[in-house]
Amino acid sequence: MVVNEKKQKEIKRYTNKRGQQPPDIPPKTNTLPKIFLQSVKTHGERVAMRKKRFGIWQEYTWNEVYRHVHDFCLGLVSLGLQRGEKVAIVGENDPEFYWSELAVFSAGGTTTAVFTDANLQELGYVTTNSDSMFLIAHDQEQCDKALDLLEDPTFGPGFKQIRKVIYWEERGLWNYEGDWLISYSEVEALGREYAKSHPNLFEEMIAQGDEKDIALFSYTSGTTSLPKAAMISHRNLIYANSNIEGVTPRRPSDNYVSFSPLAWITEQSLGLTSHLIYGFQVNFPESPETVQTDIREIAPSTLLFPSRLWEGIARTMQMRINDSIWINKVLFSMFMPIAYQIIDLEDEHKPVPLHLRFLRWIGEFAVFQPLRDKIGMVRMRDAITSGAALSPDVLRFFRAVGVELKSLYGSTEMQGVTMHYQNEVKLASVGEVLPGIEIKIMDDQEIRVKSNAVFAGYYKDDEKTGESFDDDGFFMTGDAGYIDEDGHLIYLDRVKDMIGLANGESFSPQYIEGRLKFSRFIQDVMAVGGFDMEFVTAIIIIDFENVSRWAEKNRVHFTTYVDLTQKPEVYEIIRKEIDRVNDTLPEHARIRKFVILHKAFDADEAELTRTRKLRRRALEQRYGEMLDAMYGDKDAVTVSAEVKYRDGRSGVIETSVKVATVNV
Amino acid sequence: MAKLHVKNISLSFGGIKALQNVDFSVEEGQIFAVIGPNGAGKTSLINSINGFYRPQEGSIILEGKDISNSPPFQRAKLGISRTFQNIALYTNMTALDNLMAARHLHMKSNMLTGALFWGPARNEEIAHRHRVEEIIDFLEMERIRTEVVGNLSYGLRKRVELGRALALEPSLLLLDEPMAGMNVEEKEDMARFILDIHERQGMTIMLIEHDIGLVMDICDQIVALDFGVKIAEGTPEEISHDDAVIKAYLGQEQ
Repeated sequence: MVVNEKKQKEIKRYTNKRGQQPPDIPPKTNTLPKIFLQSVKTHGERVAMRKKRFGIWQEYTWNEVYRHVHDFCLGLVSLGLQRGEKVAIVGENDPEFYWSELAVFSAGGTTTAVFTDANLQELGYVTTNSDSMFLIAHDQEQCDKALDLLEDPTFGPGFKQIRKVIYWEERGLWNYEGDWLISYSEVEALGREYAKSHPNLFEEMIAQGDEKDIALFSYTSGTTSLPKAAMISHRNLIYANSNIEGVTPRRPSDNYVSFSPLAWITEQSLGLTSHLIYGFQVNFPESPETVQTDIREIAPSTLLFPSRLWEGIARTMQMRINDSIWINKVLFSMFMPIAYQIIDLEDEHKPVPLHLRFLRWIGEFAVFQPLRDKIGMVRMRDAITSGAALSPDVLRFFRAVGVELKSLYGSTEMQGVTMHYQNEVKLASVGEVLPGIEIKIMDDQEIRVKSNAVFAGYYKDDEKTGESFDDDGFFMTGDAGYIDEDGHLIYLDRVKDMIGLANGESFSPQYIEGRLKFSRFIQDVMAVGGFDMEFVTAIIIIDFENVSRWAEKNRVHFTTYVDLTQKPEVYEIIRKEIDRVNDTLPEHARIRKFVILHKAFDADEAELTRTRKLRRRALEQRYGEMLDAMYGDKDAVTVSAEVKYRDGRSGVIETSVKVATVNV
Repeated sequence: MAKLHVKNISLSFGGIKALQNVDFSVEEGQIFAVIGPNGAGKTSLINSINGFYRPQEGSIILEGKDISNSPPFQRAKLGISRTFQNIALYTNMTALDNLMAARHLHMKSNMLTGALFWGPARNEEIAHRHRVEEIIDFLEMERIRTEVVGNLSYGLRKRVELGRALALEPSLLLLDEPMAGMNVEEKEDMARFILDIHERQGMTIMLIEHDIGLVMDICDQIVALDFGVKIAEGTPEEISHDDAVIKAYLGQEQ
């Protein structure tokens, strides 16, 4: 963190401007398992979670969940799990995932959730770095990784200390040999046996829990270095919820769809922890591919997605409207401008004229309600976006069609910091400071945060932990932003990612990228600039599905993805999108040149983090030739990029990428 | 006793001899492959086994019982189920309905009780739907469950067809080029499904396939045909070194 070396001066401190205070947590319910026991008592035979299996939503009551957690916990204990030990879990969101976590918490252990698409190195690094003693692995795919890791020269020795690998999806694993692998139900059976000789052990272990115990390790996405394990205590998780409670209250009657990966802290906090505290129903989709239909069937009242997913949904919706019959298109183009007009007036705190309200009301029946029904958002009360900053255009789009989308700003280390209040949404901001949180803004616009939800430090890395806190005990986020006159936080960018240009001006690439990504033709984009560069350029990744559909309609012939990207017609539609965005930007921040990349950015090639944020340094190096071409007046550049396939093989593709100029 | 014994069959269409004196047996629980160049008679062989063609000579013996004179639907009842090279599904029905249609063989309710859809007929439908859902889960078809088959991609249609063959609950599964026209990923998926079916249900599987690498990987026993004549039979290892097979595939040096 270069920014910490120079001493910054504090400008001002802020707390919740409405003076709300989060409730304190009583010692009786100061860990997740204690809350769990209480909720089982209160809710008993009510449905706690549902999972779609064999085409039907299978229900689990709180009492059933208790049995599963109880048995699995004692099963782990009988296999040697001790207080303070670590357990890694890798898999899709499933009831078993929630149960496993609760079981480990109950025994006083710590969990680490890993992204399912983690490759061997990533899984090996996380399991060994966290000193995990068990690995709970969803299915054959993950178990195969575990077996491969045993043979791995780097991670093998550390990985061998894992006592058992436990899987809950048995498909394909029927004939695997050895007792290192064991199924979830076998562990539960062991637990039932163990309970006979150790009655009440489960409750006793839970009673020993303390709020300062570390519940989970959440690996920071590591845009700059190897991922670090942020230690999150029970207290952190519970306070993060009570901080948000004043802004968006949850009810036991709520329905929630658990789909965001559990390796992401927000799902742990506002999914799992909220479920325990408020007792709402959690629904698990049938498979990752069926999420859209499953959400429609559930019509949840709460949804929590990273901004990428919201952008994807917005793009799909626009595409669907385009493919719809003419009457739908006409209605949409009639009422959408009205809806936008109302949103903009509300955003500027201006009164909305009565006739607009009336037209919007008709539009609600004609288009918006049916449209929301198509995506399962008719009952939506809390639609929340988090992770990378969501483009204001996308936020505006959702609010216009009637989805009350709100931004939540936070990070792994501090969880939620600011959020939009109902009816107080400013499109450009990420909301107001939450109750229970104190933030200060430094003279270089860095945001620093203090609250009970701020993490306990990095695992086995006291040095980094020390560097992350300033003398007043504030966590140094490295994010740049400011509080505007309405008390809203405007998020700009990472402090180190605010990019200066050769002419002394600076710009926020994330902002430009967010605006561009609202185009249905653009899937990804990186805006580039720097102290040695005179102007801003961009590398564009097209949305293959939408562009190829467009090409078909407009009789543009192409063979492959690579071929499509280099069509002059495609360059022309992208140029139009850039013109539209350039109009909203100050002169110096406008994009002058761009290229359409011959391939998509890929997390497997370390071009994106697993939460799909751009790794700018890596990308700038990798596509250095293109940057040189754009700043060096070349028309095209021949590139040969090495491609790593998921199975470890690699190949080379060679192609010519054109450089296009935009008139500003 | 062999699961299936194809005993000296010969099949001709007018002057064309599609199969000549072909003889081999498939053991219980094997994955058995039939290979050969185009026009070697592979599909004719499968059609003869499931009863679409009647060989003029020889007999088909299933578990010791001569079924040479049984029509296709009776052979299906005896546990022979198949997929087609060119996919034969109800294209205007959903994937789910295609699978349910295959359960017809196991349904007891008649037109009247089915129309009233009450009591036993309803329970029966639920039981069969459950069985079909297990197959959908097994073949990872959740996403396409309610999609009309005609709108699906080629690879997915092949998968639906495999699902339909499984819905018959066969003891002998005949697959006619299950991986033709697929990309590498789809092929690997299909190979995994075939292995899973074999491993999970111990089903005897006989398949025609052109991708020799894949055949070598997953099969226990192979028979090679050329111009309707069996030219070799053996394990993948033996077949890959067989001179007659190499000649049939690569031609002979002049």
